[in-house]
Amino acid sequence: MKTLTIVAGVLLVFVFVWERVDVVRVGYQIERLKTQKVLLERERDQLQVKFSALTAPERIAKVATEKLGLVPPQQGQVLMVHQPGDVPGLPLPSVEQVRLARHDSTERVSE
Amino acid sequence: MTAGPSRGRRYVMLLLLICGFSVILVRLVTLQVFQAAELTAKADRQHQKTVSFEGARGMVSDRHGKVLAMNVEVPSVFGVPTSLESPSTVARHLAPVLHIRSDELERKLQQDKSFVWLARKVEPEQGRRLEQLSLDGIGVVMEGRRFYPKGPLLAHVLGFSGMDGLGLEGLERQYDLDLHGEKRVTVLQRDALGRTVFPKGLAEQVPTPGHALTLTVDEVIQYIAEKELEEAVTRTHAKSGTIIAMEPQSGAILAMAVSPRFDPNVVAALTPDRWRNRALTDTYEPGSTMKIVVASAALEEKVMTPESMVFGENGHMVIANTTIHDHDKLGWMTFSEVIQKSSNIGAAKTGMALGEQRLYHYLQAFGFGQRTEIDLPGEVSGLLKSPKDWGRRSLASISMGQEVGVTPLQMVTAVATLANGGVMMKPYVVSEVRDQKGRLLKEVLPQVKRRAVSQDTARTMTTMLEGVVTNGTGTKAAIPGFRVAGKTGTAQKIDSRTGAYSSTQFVGSFVGYVPAESPRLAMIVVLDEPQGEAWGGAVAAPVFRRVGEQVLNYLGVSREDTVKIALAMKDH
Repeated sequence: MKTLTIVAGVLLVFVFVWERVDVVRVGYQIERLKTQKVLLERERDQLQVKFSALTAPERIAKVATEKLGLVPPQQGQVLMVHQPGDVPGLPLPSVEQVRLARHDSTERVSE
Repeated sequence: MTAGPSRGRRYVMLLLLICGFSVILVRLVTLQVFQAAELTAKADRQHQKTVSFEGARGMVSDRHGKVLAMNVEVPSVFGVPTSLESPSTVARHLAPVLHIRSDELERKLQQDKSFVWLARKVEPEQGRRLEQLSLDGIGVVMEGRRFYPKGPLLAHVLGFSGMDGLGLEGLERQYDLDLHGEKRVTVLQRDALGRTVFPKGLAEQVPTPGHALTLTVDEVIQYIAEKELEEAVTRTHAKSGTIIAMEPQSGAILAMAVSPRFDPNVVAALTPDRWRNRALTDTYEPGSTMKIVVASAALEEKVMTPESMVFGENGHMVIANTTIHDHDKLGWMTFSEVIQKSSNIGAAKTGMALGEQRLYHYLQAFGFGQRTEIDLPGEVSGLLKSPKDWGRRSLASISMGQEVGVTPLQMVTAVATLANGGVMMKPYVVSEVRDQKGRLLKEVLPQVKRRAVSQDTARTMTTMLEGVVTNGTGTKAAIPGFRVAGKTGTAQKIDSRTGAYSSTQFVGSFVGYVPAESPRLAMIVVLDEPQGEAWGGAVAAPVFRRVGEQVLNYLGVSREDTVKIALAMKDH
C-alpha cells in the first residue's frame, strides 16, 4: 500500500512536470504559428497592393494602347443592348428587336 | 570530564550557525526589502519585453471594392549607438542598402543614445538585405506603411497619412477616427535566450485594425475624368483644372479630379498647394453658369417664361455708370435664347426683374454662400454677400455670375438639383464604414437638403439648357445619341495687381447633365486660366463631351437612337 502510494505520488509529480513542460512546448508552437500567420498576412497584403497597382485603370489603358495596340471605341462603335426594363424611363424595343440589334451590331461598327 | 570540550564545540557550532544565518537573513532583507524595487525592475528588464502594437489602418476602396489605400507592414531600421564599436564601418555597410549617405548615417550612429531611427518604412527588399548583413547594433522592426496602389488616382480626395499613421489630408483626415487602428502596449515574457515565452492571451492582445471605407467614387470614371482633365490642362496650358461628376438623384460623387495631380505615396517633397482639393477649397467667379440659377428663379417666380421677350440693347447697356457688354449685338430674343446665347444683358434684366431679395433667396436655395457639407475637409462656403451689402450694380453683376464666389462643388450640386427635379441632395463621398470582419457599421444614405424649385421649373430649365447645347454656346458639349443639358461659363479673373477684371486671365467652365430626360450624370469642368481661346464653350465643353461619352458607355446607358436603330434593322 505504501509502495503504491509512493508510485502514485511519483507519477503525479511526473504528470505535473510533463504538463508544465508541455505547456511551454505548446506555447512555443503557438508563437511559431502566430509568427507564420503574421508573415503570411504580410505577404497577402503585399500581393494585394501589387494586384491593385497592376489593375489600375491607368496601367491597363497604357498596356492596352501601347503593348496590345488597342484603341478606344470610336463614335458609333458602341451599341448598348438592354433587356426590357433595364433602363427606367426609356422606351425599349421588344426582345425580338433587341436580338436584331445585337445580331447586326458588327455591321454597324464597320460603317 | 568529556562534557566540557564537547559542549564548547556545540556552542561554537551554534554560534557559527547563528552568525551564518544572520548573514543570510541580513542579505535576504537587503535584497527583498531594501533593494526590492531596483532588483525587480532589473529582472523585469531582462525577462520582459514591452511591445507596442498598433492595429493596421483601415482600407479604402471604391464603390466596386477596388482598393485605393491600404496598410502593409514594412521594415523600419534602427540603431543602438551605445553598443557599436565602429559606427563608421557600420554606416558604410548600411549606406548602399538604405540609399542614405554614409556620413549622415555615421553622424546618427555616433550620438550618445541607446536608440536612433535610421530609416523608417523602407521597402521589404531593403529589410531582407539588412537581415542578411546581420550587423551588430542594427535592428529592424515592422511598421505599418500606407500604400496608395493607384498612385495619383483620386489623390486629392484620399489625402494621405503621416509617418505616425495619423490622417493628415483628405479622407484620411476626415475619417481618421474610423480609419486608425487601436493602439495597445503589451508586456511579453522572455526566456534566457531572449525568445518570447508563451504570450498568454496574445490573441486577445492583438489590437483591432481600423475600419474600412467604401467610397461612392468609381475608379474607372475617376480615371476617365483625370485623363481628360490632364489632356485639357496640357492642351490649353491652363494653370489648373477640376472635374466633378455626381449622381444627381443621390448626390453621390462618382469622380472628383483635380489637376495638377500628385502621388500620395511621395508627398514629402510637395507643397500644400499641390495637394489642396481645389474642387472645394478654391472659389471662382462662375460667370455665365450662374445664369442657370437666375433663370430658374425667374421661372419659379413666374417673372419670365421661356417665350418671354427680352431686348438685348444691341449689346450695350449702362447700369450704375458702368457698361455691360454682350459678345454679340443682340436685339429682341426669347428668354430661352437669353440662356442659349448667354446674354449678359438679358441675365441682368432678369435679375433686376426678380429684385434683390428674391435673387438672394434663390442663390441660397441653390446652396451658394454655404458649405455643401460634403464629408471632406477644407470646404469653404464661397462668397455671397447679403443684399444690404450689395452696390448699385450688384444685382446685374451677380445675375451674370460676378461679385459672387463659388466652388466647383457648389456649382455642380446646384445644377444637379435641376437634374433631380428641383430637389437638392447633399453630396457625399463615403457610402459605407465596415469593421475588420466586414460588418456594416455605418451606411450613408442619400440625404435631401431642400427643394430649391418646383419640378415644372426644373423640367423647363432642362429644355432651355438643352437649347444651349443644341443651338447655343455649348454645342461642343453635345454627345451624339444623348440629350445633353448644360451651360457654358467664361469669367474674367480679378487681376491681383490692378484689382480690376483681367483681360487675359479667365476661368472657362461647363456644367450640365446627361441624358437630359433621365439624368445619370451631372458634371462640371472648370479650367483655370486657359491660354488662347478661353471661352468655356471652347475649352471646357469638349472635355464634358469626351468624359460624358466614355462614362455613359461605361455605365451602359443606352443611346437615344438605340431604339431607332433596332427598329430600322427590323424594317430591313
